[in-house]
Formats: sequence, structure tokens, C-alpha cells
Amino acid sequence: MVDNALSPHGGTIVERLEEPTTAKERIKGLPRIEIRSQLAREVMSIAYGYFSPLEGFMTEADVDSVVNKLTLASGYVWSIPIVFDIGERELQELGVKQGDTVLLTYQDNPLATLDIEEVFSYDLDVMAQKVYGTKDEKHPGVRRTLAYAGRFLGGKVTIVNPPKINPPFDEFFYPPRLLREEFSRRGWKRVVAHQTRNVPHTGHEWLMKGAWFAANADAVLANPVIGEKRAGDYIDEAIIVTHDALRKAGYFAENIHMTSLLFWDMRYAGPREAVFHAIVRKNLGCTHHMFGRDHAGVGTYYDPYAAHEIFEELPDLGIYPVKALEWFYCPECAGIAYEEQCGHKDAAQRFSGSLIRSIIQDGVQPPRLLFRPEIFELVMECAEKYGGGSPFVTESYLGRGDPVMTVPAL
Amino acid sequence: MSEETFPINIWINEERLEALNKAGVAGMTKDVLAGLKVIQVPANPSQRDDLLKRYPMAKCDTATTKTIELLPREVKDQLLELVVKKGSVDVVGDLLASLG
Repeated sequence: MVDNALSPHGGTIVERLEEPTTAKERIKGLPRIEIRSQLAREVMSIAYGYFSPLEGFMTEADVDSVVNKLTLASGYVWSIPIVFDIGERELQELGVKQGDTVLLTYQDNPLATLDIEEVFSYDLDVMAQKVYGTKDEKHPGVRRTLAYAGRFLGGKVTIVNPPKINPPFDEFFYPPRLLREEFSRRGWKRVVAHQTRNVPHTGHEWLMKGAWFAANADAVLANPVIGEKRAGDYIDEAIIVTHDALRKAGYFAENIHMTSLLFWDMRYAGPREAVFHAIVRKNLGCTHHMFGRDHAGVGTYYDPYAAHEIFEELPDLGIYPVKALEWFYCPECAGIAYEEQCGHKDAAQRFSGSLIRSIIQDGVQPPRLLFRPEIFELVMECAEKYGGGSPFVTESYLGRGDPVMTVPAL
Repeated sequence: MSEETFPINIWINEERLEALNKAGVAGMTKDVLAGLKVIQVPANPSQRDDLLKRYPMAKCDTATTKTIELLPREVKDQLLELVVKKGSVDVVGDLLASLG
């Protein structure tokens, strides 16, 4: 029987980082696999301990247990398979097998080693159905799952050559050990996490403020996910700096708010992803996690409050879910109001990240009650500086490679 | 029971307001969300699906607002032109017909 309430998850922060000077000798002659950006981000998240207790990509026993029982084979709760896929042909060409070590390269430079504990296959239809509750290929997580190459390599990863985190992301890169030290330095014992992949509008701001009250927290950690982008999303630079700007512009007091980034490609797995987010933020040192309406959902695949309900079925995870309803604009209150508190529900005017993006795209500056003017100005500044004139991801933004990290030569 | 519709929000910037004023139809706008002007053009489910297929970056916000957002700005300009011309917001069918 394991204690899921241990913080970090499993009791210890995993750190698998080797000094590049010693690693240089060890990696000589190893078979190389150039990995895509998603896997590079997952290597970072594993090796720096965001995904503790995972020490590497999952073996079949872990995948099977996660898919069917929502736990790792060890019994610790885990909800999303973290897998390293590889095509049969590439595997044959590399000639690697269980017991071998391979060098994972990214941007053609050495990033990490993978000690292969197992080479296995898994039924992707089953994985998709169990994790996402659907096999519908319109679901982005299902599409990602069904696109996995036919085989998987399970085993521990070790970073041998830490990437340089590029500005403006560098000042927000706080791996779990560092972030926990920072919380301690600031005297923060109760920290509530805010999951986001958006530039903040005042609905987000009030979600964070409401969660701070509800958790009786010392602080809010805004923790944007930095990962795969689609055309039309906000550019990552705008997301990260605008969250920080909420504090700089005084919408949060200096001593109750902090921003750090999380490398993760959203799966949109709804309630399962909520559990994953809780575990990762526990590893970061958070004691509470706010979950709003349709957390990590997409389309109409999940009940809007499925992410609230799943925690009822799980053991104590050592991070407390703060369940929030919606904030909306109420013309009667002449301000942003909370669903459970406001008595003018029929007058409620709801807004979302998509609606705000739509307003900006139409060439209109949203009113300050919905979108802070400092945030708007910063979004426009980011558009010029990083987005080729657009605050939204365009084909040319996507084509310029990974803006977040650069792996140096070793 | 009437068929469910999904409004397309055309947010009114200065340029669009000028065009509406010139055509004498500025009264068709609605004031929402603490000071924004909008014209809402309804789309039925089949028109919604057609639009989302043609413009993959657009999104039907099923979770919060039940509106169609993020259509390209030039498409919204076309819709607004049709609204001005017809004096009615029932113009999605005309737009789709013109696109072929």
C-alpha cells in the first residue's frame, strides 16, 4: 500500500541530471535517436522531477496500470501514459534492444540518454478509449494516441546536456526543487496552482483570486503550460509574460503571486488530465490546485464539472482540489461576478478566452473590466517582438522551430 | 421547437461603426460586456459545421458562450457588408452561397 499523500508524489523529487563533462565520455558511440519537441519537453519534465516518481518513460506494466487502474504499477495514482514511441523500422535500423542505452538528441545535439528496460507494443485503441473515454479521432488526445508509432521504449532517462532556456522563458523556469526552495524562502506554506494555456482575462484573474480566498493560501502559482501550439493560439511568449504582468501591474500584490512554466503538451483528457495536473503541481510544492469549469476539456466530450468529481473517487493526493464555478460579467452588478454568489443570473454575460481573442482579432481593445489594459499592451508588444506582428500563432511562428529551449553542442 | 442557433459575434471597431452609421443601421448593434458593441449573426447547426470546416482556426465555444468565435477578420467584414446590404442579420446562408 503506497501513501499517495506524500509530497512530492512518491516521497522524493526525481532528478536525473548528469554533468555534461562526465556525460561526454559516456555517450560516445551510443546509437542516436533524434526526438520531436513533445518528447524533448517530456524528457525535461521527467529528468527535472516534474513527473516524480517517474524516472523515465513508462514500461508496459505502468502503461497498463495507468490505462486500466489510474495508478502506476507501484500503486501511486497516475492518469496519463508517458510513453516513448518509435517505429518498427527505425527500431530495426538502430538495432537496439532491452538493456541497451541510446542517446536522445534534439535539434541534432545530445540531450539525454534512455536506458532501455523494455521494448513493447500496446493496443492504441484501448489506450485512447480508456484515457479519453472516446475513440473519436476529432479528439486531439485520441489523435495523438493513434498517431504513436507502433512500438514503445520504456526506461530511465538522464539529461546529459541541459538545454538553454531562451528569453523570455528563462526567468520562469523553476524546476520542482528550485521552486520548493523559492516558496520556502518566501515563507509560503499554502500555495494554490492555476493551470493555464491562455493570456489572462479578468475571468482568469478572479478564478485565481477566488482560489486564493478559498484555499486561505499564502500565494497563487500561475503555471502556464508551454507545449505544442496550434495556429490561432496565443503565442507562448505572450502567455508567460502577461501572467507575470498581472502582479507587476498590481492586480496581485507582490508577495502573493508568482509565475513559472510547465513543459507539457496538453492532452485535453478532461478529468484524467486534472489528476495529472494536480500531481505535477504537488511536485512543484503546491498544496492546492484550482479547477474551473471544463478543466482540460475539449468539445463536449466531458461533463463541464467532471474534473471536480474525479477527485471524490481517489485517495488523498496530498494536494487539495479547489473547485471553482464561473465568473462572468454582470451588468446589474456592473462588474465581474461569481456564479454562486450573483443573483442576476439571467443578466449574466459570459466570456471566454476564445471570445476575448475574437475581440482582439477584430481590431477592438476589450474593456478593462474584461481584459486589463496593461495586458492588452503587452500582448501587442509580444506580437511585434515575437509573433511577426500577430499575437496569435501563425504558420511562420510555427515554422521557426522551438522558441523555448536551445540544446547547445556538447 | 425552433432550431438552436449559434451566434457569430462581429465586434464593432471604429471602422465598422462608421460603415454602419453611413448605412443608417448602427441601431442594429447591441451593447455588451461593459462597453463593447456587437452584431450577432445567427448560424444554424449545419451552417456552423460548414463554417468550422472552411475555417479550421474558428471555434464554436461550446463550453461557455455557445458562440462561433475566431472567424477570420475578412470573413466577418464580408458578413457585416451583407448585414448592411440586407438590413438583416440572417446572412450566413448568403455568405456560404457566395463562397460556393
